[in-house]
Amino acid sequence: MGPLLALENVGKDYARVDARGGRVRLVWDLLRGRSAASVFTAFDGVSLRLERGQSLAIIGENGAGKSTLLKVIAGVIKPTRGTLVVNGRVGALLELGSGFHPDYSGLANIELAAALLGLTPAEIADRREQIVAFADIGEHIREPIKHYSSGMVVRLGFAVATALTPDILITDEVLAVGDESFQKKSIAWMEKYLAGGGTLLFVSHSMYHVQKLCRHALWLERGRMRLYGDADHVAREYVAWHEARAEAAANTAKAAPPASAYVVTGLALTIDGGGSEIDPGHGFRVDVEVRSPDDREPVLAVGVVRADGTPVYGTTSEIDRAAPVRLGPMRYAFSIRFDDLSLLPGHYRLRAHAMDPEGMRLFDTHEAPFVIAGTTRELGYVRLPHAWPHAETTPKTTAAEPRAAAPER
Amino acid sequence: MAAPAPTAPVPPSFPPVATFPPAQPPVEAVRVRNRALFRNFFLREVNTRYLGSMTGLAWALLHPLALLGVYWFVFTMVFRAGGFGGSSFLTFVAVALWPWLAAQEALQRGTVSLASYAALIRKVAFPHELVVYASVAATFALHFAGYVAVLVVLALFGQPVHFEGLLVALPVWVLLAIAGTGLALFFAALQVFIRDVEHVLMPLLMILMYLTPIVYPLTAVPEAVRPYVAANPFGYLVGRLRAALLDGQLSLDAGDAVALVVAIALFVGGRWVFRRLSPTFEDFL
Repeated sequence: MGPLLALENVGKDYARVDARGGRVRLVWDLLRGRSAASVFTAFDGVSLRLERGQSLAIIGENGAGKSTLLKVIAGVIKPTRGTLVVNGRVGALLELGSGFHPDYSGLANIELAAALLGLTPAEIADRREQIVAFADIGEHIREPIKHYSSGMVVRLGFAVATALTPDILITDEVLAVGDESFQKKSIAWMEKYLAGGGTLLFVSHSMYHVQKLCRHALWLERGRMRLYGDADHVAREYVAWHEARAEAAANTAKAAPPASAYVVTGLALTIDGGGSEIDPGHGFRVDVEVRSPDDREPVLAVGVVRADGTPVYGTTSEIDRAAPVRLGPMRYAFSIRFDDLSLLPGHYRLRAHAMDPEGMRLFDTHEAPFVIAGTTRELGYVRLPHAWPHAETTPKTTAAEPRAAAPER
Repeated sequence: MAAPAPTAPVPPSFPPVATFPPAQPPVEAVRVRNRALFRNFFLREVNTRYLGSMTGLAWALLHPLALLGVYWFVFTMVFRAGGFGGSSFLTFVAVALWPWLAAQEALQRGTVSLASYAALIRKVAFPHELVVYASVAATFALHFAGYVAVLVVLALFGQPVHFEGLLVALPVWVLLAIAGTGLALFFAALQVFIRDVEHVLMPLLMILMYLTPIVYPLTAVPEAVRPYVAANPFGYLVGRLRAALLDGQLSLDAGDAVALVVAIALFVGGRWVFRRLSPTFEDFL
């Protein structure tokens, strides 16, 4: 017996129509048997085969052509190029509606779906009970689908698609919808179906499900086959590619600020009384120089974060109405003092961000680490002023380190 | 339709033969399925259109009856028209009005029928023309039932209705339905791409109705323009209906053969256009 499904160099184009005249033209072209003048290729050059019992997952970013490929396999649309052979009954659960007529009641839609699949009335009667029980949406089954919640539509769609025991079950992100108990029920059904030799063809963004349910995977990237093979391998490569891309994106954002950006050109942190650590109760001064490409007064945002990035405090020159000093063309200097710090001992970083004159967009970030000296058993980042009014004696300072007890008054 | 069943549906090796749609499922199964689908769509049409509304099936009769009443008032009370060849104005008009309204409604409903099945067309594979067939067939079936009912009532009131004329009238209705189906397929396919079609169709049909000898006899038309009015194919069918039902003429002539050819040509042409355009529906509905 041949494969359940075989695709060879299949591609699908969509006509691109902009103006109203374009539609008349398109109709004319179609009638003459020509392809549309301007097309958008949803996917192309896809070849795969699906053997009984060997489920396949299709992965890729949004807009990669996954759903269109499923539609072609389900027979909803004809491919523009290539050959496609299906040897079996295809149950398609495409997106939410699953091909329901919104004006029909749930029961009427069951009849319709069964007729679409070519079931005889006797077969339909047999399975109706089963479908209604699986969907489990109570009296709603007699109401038009358009009054259903999206969850109910999915339940019914899943119930219909599954009760007809297809050779290939096509699903498009369906497991992501529905409530917890229904998801459990559908996954249980899916496992039974797969154990019984069923074949699944599904689109998912969940690599966990891809690896759990499928033997093979196809990675589509902008309508082309990027990788096709063992599901574990493809899923791993896909995740790695995503991570690499996210990192690259983060790097390029940092590396080259555009010429039109407001940039921090200098950042100096001066601790009172010199030294490398700041004693509690003391402070420091920050001098920042910002380049303004259009020579308007930029805004500076300054903040303090913990070593792990947790924000402690931040403000901007716009909030405090502090104008910078113009040093020369496009050069502005800010100076800000932090006195009498109530930060607890530990490692911190000072952050300075250059912003546009409106204080809306944040362009550049510079950091300078600093250390608050000492040790303490107190919790958190900041010492809030406090007292114990009913204590009989003046409490001994809780801090083990005498130096840490400074900011009492 | 009568393609031979494939002998070897499963290709022995990959890549397989270059056919789409695939050879499976067999032709017979597809035919059974399409018949079941048509029945489903047809019953749904009848149900939602008439049985779902409060007055039920009566609407199919009330609309033409109301029109008939208006025409009767305008033409016999106001204009005092004559020349209806022995039968009363009511009978004369009723014989032609029902088939016209059936054709008109079938065209209008058929043209927009695909839109209400958009959800289905976008997600399920089936022959889209079944939707148009069901819409047109439901309209003709209901109006034909109304037609027979009205003829019976007219006969009971002593009007000279020749019921043996139904032997000709029924085939005429069938011809009209075949031609109407072809036109509906054509307009329905165009409507998917060009939304103006339905809006153009309505005034066009109204103009066509008054250019057809439905509420007036052909003899009332001035000699100079009479050949043009007579050339209207629908006018020809109306004439056949009147001759059969009001005068009891049952003979066939060459004109009937031409009408048959025209009706089939319209159907085949409309279906050809529809099938050319239907693979692209999914993207435009």
